[in-house]
Amino acid sequence: MSRWGYLVKRIALSIPVLFSAITFLFLMLRLGPLDPVSARLGEQASGADVTRLREQMGLNDPLWKQYLDFMRDLLTFSGESWVVQANRPITDIVAQVAPTTIWLGFWAILLPLFIGIPLGFYAGLNPNSKSDYVASVSSILWLSMPNFWLAVMALAFLRKTKGGGVLGFDWYALGPDISGITGTPGLDFLTLTNVFGVPLPTAMDWMAFLTDFKLILPASLILGSASMATEMRIGRTAVLETVNSNYVETAKAKGLKSRAIVWKHIFRNALIPLVPVITNEAFILIGGSVIIEYIFNINGLGSLYFRALVAADIPLAGALLFMFTLLIISLNLLQDFLYTIIDPRVGYDR
Amino acid sequence: MTNTLSNETTAESASADAEVRTLRDRIERNPRPALLWLAGAAVLFVLEFGRVLGGLLALGKAGRFVLEGIASIPGWIGGNVGDALGTVIGAVVSDVVSLSILFIAAIVLQSYLPWRIDDFVDVDRSPKSKAWLERLVLTAILAVIAVLMAFTPIGGLVKAEVSLWGSVLDSLSSLPTLTSRETIPNMGHRTPEGGWEGTFLGLSPKYAWAIRFALVWVYMITCLVWVWKGFNVYREHYREADWTPRDDTIRRFRNHTWGIFGLIIVIGFVTLGVFAPAISPVPAEHNIYEPYNHEFSYLNDEGEVDQILHGTANLDSRSNGQNTVGLWEYDDYDRFAPLGTTPDGQDMLTHLAFGARTSLVISLSSVALGGLIAVGLSLMTAYYKGALDIVTIVVSDTIISIPVLVLVLMILVVFQNHPLREPMDGGLLLSLVLALAYWPAMWRAIRGPSLQVSEEEWVDAAKSYGQTPNNIMRKHMAPYIASYIIIYASLLIGGVIISVAALSFLGLGIQSPTPEWGRLISDGRPFIPTSSWHVSTISGILIALVVLAFNALGDAVRDAVDPEADIGNEGAGAGGGG
Repeated sequence: MSRWGYLVKRIALSIPVLFSAITFLFLMLRLGPLDPVSARLGEQASGADVTRLREQMGLNDPLWKQYLDFMRDLLTFSGESWVVQANRPITDIVAQVAPTTIWLGFWAILLPLFIGIPLGFYAGLNPNSKSDYVASVSSILWLSMPNFWLAVMALAFLRKTKGGGVLGFDWYALGPDISGITGTPGLDFLTLTNVFGVPLPTAMDWMAFLTDFKLILPASLILGSASMATEMRIGRTAVLETVNSNYVETAKAKGLKSRAIVWKHIFRNALIPLVPVITNEAFILIGGSVIIEYIFNINGLGSLYFRALVAADIPLAGALLFMFTLLIISLNLLQDFLYTIIDPRVGYDR
Repeated sequence: MTNTLSNETTAESASADAEVRTLRDRIERNPRPALLWLAGAAVLFVLEFGRVLGGLLALGKAGRFVLEGIASIPGWIGGNVGDALGTVIGAVVSDVVSLSILFIAAIVLQSYLPWRIDDFVDVDRSPKSKAWLERLVLTAILAVIAVLMAFTPIGGLVKAEVSLWGSVLDSLSSLPTLTSRETIPNMGHRTPEGGWEGTFLGLSPKYAWAIRFALVWVYMITCLVWVWKGFNVYREHYREADWTPRDDTIRRFRNHTWGIFGLIIVIGFVTLGVFAPAISPVPAEHNIYEPYNHEFSYLNDEGEVDQILHGTANLDSRSNGQNTVGLWEYDDYDRFAPLGTTPDGQDMLTHLAFGARTSLVISLSSVALGGLIAVGLSLMTAYYKGALDIVTIVVSDTIISIPVLVLVLMILVVFQNHPLREPMDGGLLLSLVLALAYWPAMWRAIRGPSLQVSEEEWVDAAKSYGQTPNNIMRKHMAPYIASYIIIYASLLIGGVIISVAALSFLGLGIQSPTPEWGRLISDGRPFIPTSSWHVSTISGILIALVVLAFNALGDAVRDAVDPEADIGNEGAGAGGGG
């Protein structure tokens, strides 16, 4: 099968997955043991209120109509929140908190990428050296520590540095001053101006940028730490495997400079097994953001999802879950697309 | 494990070749080493007779719970359908569901039956239709038994008999054992004269507890050494072959320092959970579950021996920043707390030991259930391919495309008022949900190998001999993917432990009072900068250590089983995003 045929097949397969995800959500949220009426009105509600609400929410409609309505609401991103911000359109609520999570996720991907991969490559190029051992062992240790525990510990440690702690630095005074070490970053460092109707950044407040960065730094480092360790391990193995492969031997025999071998032959091929690791970060980011945002008191998508769930805000939670699913399905497609570009063998032997 | 596997293979080859003697023959010919080993095992068993019996009883209760749960499915589905479509249809549906459950049971039972249908009736049909006939007959028999049990007095008689034996075993299981609290009591009180009353040999609770603690580990290590010795006895005296590939597996594992480290910690973790009642300084029943129903004596400030409820005493022993009972300290009521107390004033080690039990039960049961689903599906999809494969891909992709933590959070909230929530304060629900969330990953990991096996010649050969698909999958395919699923499952356990802890940290996993490590972290969170730092710190370090150990063990098993095994391990041990 050609690589494009393979891609088309992947896209075709993701459509039933999307619909089965919607069906699963419907089964869980509407037909599961959760009672939407009492979730909204409380357990004691009775009488006219309940009847009216049942009618209003369409719970008296036939099942197939409820299912179609549910699907339509999800696919068009319509629907309103019930509890968390009652009767506000979900798209509004999401648009309000999404930038924070994107800010968190951006650094959570970027920082480990620039720490984990170079470390892994370095360890792979110098196998069995002291620094290799240090890097490998610390990455395994890092992987075993629960993110939420790391976050709790880091917060306690940073709080302790106020006024100069044991290590002689004060996190509050380091760089831009912040009053609290947790909280939602403001994200207003860009000045947007409408240029022919399109908002474009025209000016930047560097101090605000640094403050926002400092606010998000501990959270994103911890959120990305698991993938950082994985990147390191996989990067190390990948480099070791390519170093010992035939084409590197050939390149050496041809008399290529070692710098050229490293950059042209080893790095490029060692990147291939890292692609799924990087795209899989989305799982960790979405799942982890719930707990990290909860601990660091950041008002983002993760904590919105958590609040919606705890308050039994079914439409909001369902819509958020659907968005997460959509994001991950498209990331998986992107991963396969990247594969077909980087690795020409994909598609032929499957 | 190794032992039984090799036994089976030797037994099989014995039937094929009359020259080869069965294991029983070999033992009869030279019984001495086996008897010696068995005598040692019997001593170890008798020393802990009550505890072993208690464990078996708990297993039996869990089994009964599962059976009752399965038995209630037809009625539940039938009732739901009946609500929507009318009582008669509901009744029909519930009968159909019961029959199909019995039919599945018949398929499972079929392979273990000593008789074949040929023994009774002379049917001249293809093996396939014979197998079907066998299943239908078996289903009918099971249905008759079920009807007899449900609608005639026989059911009541059986129930009475079972409960009678259950109560006999129950009373036997409370016999004191070597490591039980009755043998070496550590809960005592000071006497006005200055000694200790009620503790082991009048020692202070600290030393009484330490002796019991040490004894648990000595006993556990002795058991392990004895099992290993048993394997060696078998290898030296009873195994026909000088060498089997399994010997190499063991040798590779023994040389894997990293894996041995993991194994030691995992054994420690399992011991902590299994011997939780012996390791905990205070009984969990008294201190955690019903603190206001149990009292103990202590020497009060006036110098008199007084009684106090655990719950009241706990209020004064809380580690909440101002008031800390730290590591290796006594609280105000002379209860010894080796690891301090929790912010609720409960004993921390008791909490940790029973929490280890919780994590162990949930992680093992969810990984086992998920693995079972994965193996079953991978065998069927590899054998039948086609539409079944596509459907499984879509379903597993659906589940995989939702991050585990997010998915599990949703299901936990949806089921928050459901009766499933009650056993183990949410433990049962959590293990079911985690099994649902993790089987697709396991299925994916073993899909490749099972597809490969299904293309092998021996599978074709078995087909042409007319073996049933069920037998082909069980006998000719399953053994070859067993090692893959074991490796993947052991790598996954760490992730499950972290997920359970993370969910409990958020307040949605295991609810109070069932002890759980993640909840301990969340309880101790406000006090990390204070003198009560130990609560969150110790539980976190323990989780990290256990997860690290399971990852190391998984790596070692992979290297040992097949040095060239190449299954993706990214993500498996990656902590589940918690």
